[in-house]
Amino acid sequence: MLFRQAGILHTNYAQDRALFPIPADRWMIGGLLLLAATAPLYLNSLYLSSYLLPWLVWTAAALGLNLILGWAGQFHLGYAAVMGIGAYAAVHAQRAGVPWEIAIVLAGLTAAVIGSVFAFAALRVKGLYLALSTLALQFVMDWTISHVPAISGGTQATLQAPDIRLLGQAVTSDAGLYYVALVWCVLVTTFMLNLRRTALGRALVAVREKDYAAAVIGVNSFYFKLVAFATSSFIAGVSGAVLIGTFYHAVTPEQFSVDVSIQALAMVIVGGLGSIIGSYFGAGFILLMPGAMNSFISWLTGLFGFSLGIETLAHLPHALYGALIIGFLLLEPLGLGKIYGNVRDYLLVWPFGYVKK
Amino acid sequence: MRLRSILGGVALMLTSSMAAHAADPVKFALCYDLSKAYTFVTPQVAQAAKDYADLLNAKGGLEGHPIEVIVQDHGNEPQRGIECYERLKRDGVMVFDMLSTPVSRAVLPRVMKDGNILMQSLAGRGDAVDGEVFKWVFPIGPTYWGQAANDVGYIKQQSGGSLKGKRVAFVYVDYPFGQEPIGILKTLAEKEGFDLQLFPYPLPGNDQAATWTQVRRFNPDWIISWSLSNMHVIASREMKRNGIPIEKYIGVNWLNEVDIKNIGPDAAKGLKRGTNVAGGSTQPLVQEIIKELYDKGKGNGDRKNLEDVYYNTGLAIWSIGFEGARQAIKKDGWPLTPQKLKDGLESIKNFDANGLMAPVTVTAADHGGGGKTRIEMWDGTKWVPQTDWIASFPEEVWKVVKEQSAAYAKDQK
Repeated sequence: MLFRQAGILHTNYAQDRALFPIPADRWMIGGLLLLAATAPLYLNSLYLSSYLLPWLVWTAAALGLNLILGWAGQFHLGYAAVMGIGAYAAVHAQRAGVPWEIAIVLAGLTAAVIGSVFAFAALRVKGLYLALSTLALQFVMDWTISHVPAISGGTQATLQAPDIRLLGQAVTSDAGLYYVALVWCVLVTTFMLNLRRTALGRALVAVREKDYAAAVIGVNSFYFKLVAFATSSFIAGVSGAVLIGTFYHAVTPEQFSVDVSIQALAMVIVGGLGSIIGSYFGAGFILLMPGAMNSFISWLTGLFGFSLGIETLAHLPHALYGALIIGFLLLEPLGLGKIYGNVRDYLLVWPFGYVKK
Repeated sequence: MRLRSILGGVALMLTSSMAAHAADPVKFALCYDLSKAYTFVTPQVAQAAKDYADLLNAKGGLEGHPIEVIVQDHGNEPQRGIECYERLKRDGVMVFDMLSTPVSRAVLPRVMKDGNILMQSLAGRGDAVDGEVFKWVFPIGPTYWGQAANDVGYIKQQSGGSLKGKRVAFVYVDYPFGQEPIGILKTLAEKEGFDLQLFPYPLPGNDQAATWTQVRRFNPDWIISWSLSNMHVIASREMKRNGIPIEKYIGVNWLNEVDIKNIGPDAAKGLKRGTNVAGGSTQPLVQEIIKELYDKGKGNGDRKNLEDVYYNTGLAIWSIGFEGARQAIKKDGWPLTPQKLKDGLESIKNFDANGLMAPVTVTAADHGGGGKTRIEMWDGTKWVPQTDWIASFPEEVWKVVKEQSAAYAKDQK
């Protein structure tokens, strides 16, 4: 009914390889893009600047991590550090007078270079050992930032980021910053969608499934792992720079600490490994749910007239949030993206459910 | 007759709406980390703020306006702190406190842009005491530089006015909080001619064994320690192990009764700490709160928190915040604006909340209120003040402040 497949006939390869062969998907994507593009018209500035904007930037970042984790199957526990490299690189470049458009590319390149230099060492090991050596990257970065005043900006460890300027135009309004984040997120999403149908994407999947087997069929697994690290680091670096430029306006080490790495990892795992829509869900869930839970519980207590201690009020949302993560992963271990996939699969043949069986 | 009653009704409605208008609350936002890293202090501070607000409200509020204290958890995550700020600023809150260094840092650019009041006592950038640069930030209380200078001032007093040849060990947790006083200590060591050595230990501070054996070899006359809560407990254990008398230990203000209990009240005898508030529930203001609220079962939390020095820290922070708002309403009238609140806070003179804390005088240039602290010693049962409220080496401290704030000011151009 909704996702009608009847009458879709591919008469050439381009059609057959289209990103969204089913019209319903195209309509939905179009509708969502339209909603996103017009968001400043109907959303108030609070939702735009404090919820939607960070969500988009974090989604882009989560997609970058998903590339390494979900596609190439390599653990990365130091992802926030790579974002931090990009953020610091961009802010330093900007302060040295480099235009923002070039600064973010520099941010991506710096992150990619440092990320893959590190990968050279880290990729000699696999699995949990790799996870630990990426964690080392995180700690090396933390240490470097807090012990090199030239990077961190002195004892206060805060570097103010200049306003971002696009083509000489200062972008300071909530809507303007939102569009910057939106464009970056859409770019990364498009890249990831297309990655699926390239030789690189297939090679990464082969490496993920079994690097030894991949080597047997002629895929140089070390090379592709390195490419994956570099690409994902590039996305991380630019995302970090965009996060600072559009949201934080100042860069400090805590914004890219080990906790943040774990959060990014949680985004990808809760969202679903290798799932693009899952990265959206995961980022939204991990980023916005604690705050939303907080408001929800405050609202509930207000509604029923409980009076809870401030500490209970602070811890209860965390408990519920944790329970929700466990609940969702029990329900569907492949993540929120897979839950969406299940619903879609059901609707694909609805109301003729027996077709599937 | 009928007309009269209608008129009377209208008049009644008008006066009642005016009364409602006069009772508009003054809102204060406490965006605190109640669930992660700062939980050793935030519950007590929030409880103190609520208690003191209740006490003042019972007396008629701030010039007739009740105080509304809004507490929200941000879990020490910058983006949630920003969300708290952005949301509450739209609800008409003009005074914010984050009580977390990372979150204060993250919110500061927005506060400076929007022109709202950020109270950031004991957290965030220390150079924000420079009110000429940080117009909207009020880190009332001592900076860590000021505190360190005051500790040195105390040591100087104890050594009979000269520090020549004294050995001072600075033991600190190796991240920005602990590193902050290094600059000022080095400057003072050069000026006063004492021998300073630095002893960092890594986060999370559970293992300080290697550090303290080095301290033992240095054999210091005094130890200044920049540690947080339980790190002091670990330090005391290592000092015992290395045979360093605890009398030499001067802790930063983050050392409370819970830590003393963990060290052991007897073992902690002679331990010293710098502080800008008088600890304990014997303070007149705390006594008043006990009488008016806790004895009537109307307290905002656990009664045993009243013994905690962080409760008094909270009272100190928020008595200043509320006093500033009161001054603002008194001087410039309702409705409040951030500018009026700023003027109100800057007109606080010699305010010590009934002996609770070091007298605070805030000016447009000095948003720290003077930065006075004193050294207290634990005598086995209570804290005994060892000095008056002092602010030592103000020139050196302000030199550091000005250097840092000038760098910030330069960035803004």
